[in-house]
Amino acid sequence: MKTQKMLFKLFILLVGLSMLLAACRPAQPTAAPTTQPPPPPVETAPPAETQPPVVAPAIDCMGAAAGDELTVMYQWSGAEEEKINAIFKPFVDACGVSIVAESTRDAAVLDTRVKSDAPDLLFWPTTAPLTLYTDQLQDLGQLGASAANYAGFWVELGSVSGRWLALPVKADIKSIIWYSPVQFEAFGYTVPTTFAELDALVEQMVADGNVPWSTGFESGAATGWTGSDFIQDLLLVQQGPEYVMGLISGDVAYDDAGVVQAYETYVKWASDETYTVGGATGTVNTPFLDAIYKVFSDPPEAMMVKQSGFAGGEVAKQFPDLEYGVDYDFFAFPGAQGMQGGADFLMAFGDSAAARAMVAYLTSAEGASAWARAGFDLSPNKWATGKYTDVQLAKKAAALAGAAGFTPDLGDTVPAPFGEAEWRAIIEAVQGGDIATALAAAATAQTEGLSQ
Amino acid sequence: MSTAKIMQQGKVVPWLYILPALLVIVIFIVYPVVNTTVLSFRDRTGERPASIACIPGETCWGVFENYRYTLTNPEMVTALRNNALWLLVMVPLTVAAGLLVAVLADKVGYESLVKAVIFMPMAISFIGAGVIWRFMYAIEAGQANQIGLLNGILVKLGAQPVAWLSTAGINNFALMVVGTWLWAGFCMTILSAALKGLPTEVLEAARVDGATEWHLFWRVMVPMILPTITVVTTTMVIIILKIFDIVFVMTGGNFGTEVIANRMFKLIVTDKGRSTAIAVFLLILTIPLMIYNVHRFRQEEAMR
Repeated sequence: MKTQKMLFKLFILLVGLSMLLAACRPAQPTAAPTTQPPPPPVETAPPAETQPPVVAPAIDCMGAAAGDELTVMYQWSGAEEEKINAIFKPFVDACGVSIVAESTRDAAVLDTRVKSDAPDLLFWPTTAPLTLYTDQLQDLGQLGASAANYAGFWVELGSVSGRWLALPVKADIKSIIWYSPVQFEAFGYTVPTTFAELDALVEQMVADGNVPWSTGFESGAATGWTGSDFIQDLLLVQQGPEYVMGLISGDVAYDDAGVVQAYETYVKWASDETYTVGGATGTVNTPFLDAIYKVFSDPPEAMMVKQSGFAGGEVAKQFPDLEYGVDYDFFAFPGAQGMQGGADFLMAFGDSAAARAMVAYLTSAEGASAWARAGFDLSPNKWATGKYTDVQLAKKAAALAGAAGFTPDLGDTVPAPFGEAEWRAIIEAVQGGDIATALAAAATAQTEGLSQ
Repeated sequence: MSTAKIMQQGKVVPWLYILPALLVIVIFIVYPVVNTTVLSFRDRTGERPASIACIPGETCWGVFENYRYTLTNPEMVTALRNNALWLLVMVPLTVAAGLLVAVLADKVGYESLVKAVIFMPMAISFIGAGVIWRFMYAIEAGQANQIGLLNGILVKLGAQPVAWLSTAGINNFALMVVGTWLWAGFCMTILSAALKGLPTEVLEAARVDGATEWHLFWRVMVPMILPTITVVTTTMVIIILKIFDIVFVMTGGNFGTEVIANRMFKLIVTDKGRSTAIAVFLLILTIPLMIYNVHRFRQEEAMR
């Protein structure tokens, strides 16, 4: 009897322990594409249609033997991880390399790994590792990356004192404006292609009694970020990408005349009831998601909303009956000399044959079309153009391909106190505060944030 | 061996008794305070002296640079001004409201119900309260319906909606209303207990002598519970000096509603030096009140 009780207790203990262990076990490394189920049914048929030089055997294994291990690290998981695996697939199939992937969003994990056992390749959404691990990173050009497949500014973005250390392999653009084609047609508006046309269109809408913009940017403690994106696009129109990069690096002071000009344009549009829903009160109090909805509600309260690519998904969720291309669509910010967006960068710590082969593959025409087919946002690679199956992506890709430059989102890139000061300045300016005074505080935060 | 000998303890034994408490205090209070103070004299990384942040040609307080920021930065000046406003408005408001309810509820049959209702907000997390009140104050600037209760009522009455949280001059008071809603119950409970503790003989004697209820309140009750009122007031001052949740959730410190603790929170990741300097400054503000409170408490204990 007693033994039985003891056994039962032991059993309970074991069950408990095993549950605990199961709970503590790290997530299965999902990646290894070698064990991946068959690839998604994308056209496995001959891929070459428009560009004859691109043929399948373009994958060069560079001496990597079957069974070689390639360690990679990235932040992607779930659906994103499936897409990157689909992109790796042709390479893995051709060279037999087995990929050992680790997915983490934690910069501290990356740091530990770099100091002990660095992954061969790293995909990271910022260029922060460039300054942290400058010496450990390999020159991509020497590894066999094809710089010729990228516009010069992409290479520049990842170069540190003459060494090419990072390459944006995945990009998304934010310099876009969403509108309702149905409404545009009803009023006889056409999509503007230059900033002058946009300006004229805005005035035309006001003359017609329509509200052109929905600029609401309430977002809790981050209130103002949508305004920051808008102003950055205006800066890209009025000053260009180098100017914006100067603001980020601190070479251009945030109270410079160019910034004042962009603020003046923005404030004109974002603080007057004839230009935006609810005037200044509407801009600072309307949550940014509601601001998107206002353009597509019935009846619409405004004609256009400047918002990143995610707005399309939000519209689809809020108004399931609306159809992309008919009821809602977007156009690139007219006249922007360069695009604002986010990018994920490829960096290499290892120079094994497998690492070289993968870098060469990802920067090749073959890698680019695999990227476009997978629809993993945009590939800055020239060969990706025309390979997208998703209409929205194809349209964004066309805008990106025509861009003269690429600037990361200022608000996301600069040190947090500067970013917050920028938002405060925007709020103040929209609420009727003196622009020069508002910018002076932000400029102080800029100097302080960037000084060592 | 005599009993006295057994009862007598060496010099070491008492320390053993208080050792656990001492350890806890050292680890969780003394060490953080010392470390915070040290950090407040360092730069934003917490590794170099604060003077490194000085910009040549501009005013600099050397190692006290972070304190210069705390006292002179425009954002901080706004925060300091707002905290003063919070103290001036909300302390009297919560204590007065608490006292009023305590006295009035004492006279009705459904006292416990009233007190429960007034005390209820204390049971809600402050973050939750902030979210609830955001809805109360919400404004729809476009053509959609007003979902905010206050603006809903205003619009129904034919008035214009008010941007409660983004209009300077209104927003700070709108936030203080939330604070009062949250904390009046706390004051009420303590003051009510003090009132219940008053000897009935004194009150009866006063009534027999012909005192009106008004006189009774001002001349008898208030003087008698004055020590409690003082304790409640100082406690509220400390609480309001540290006010954070409401502002953080409802305005994020935007629109001129910044407060000291919110600045401290915003800077903790990006600028250790400044953040800890603000923390030390807050501590310096609260310490005299703490000492006063403890002192009062000891006096009362001694009187018993």
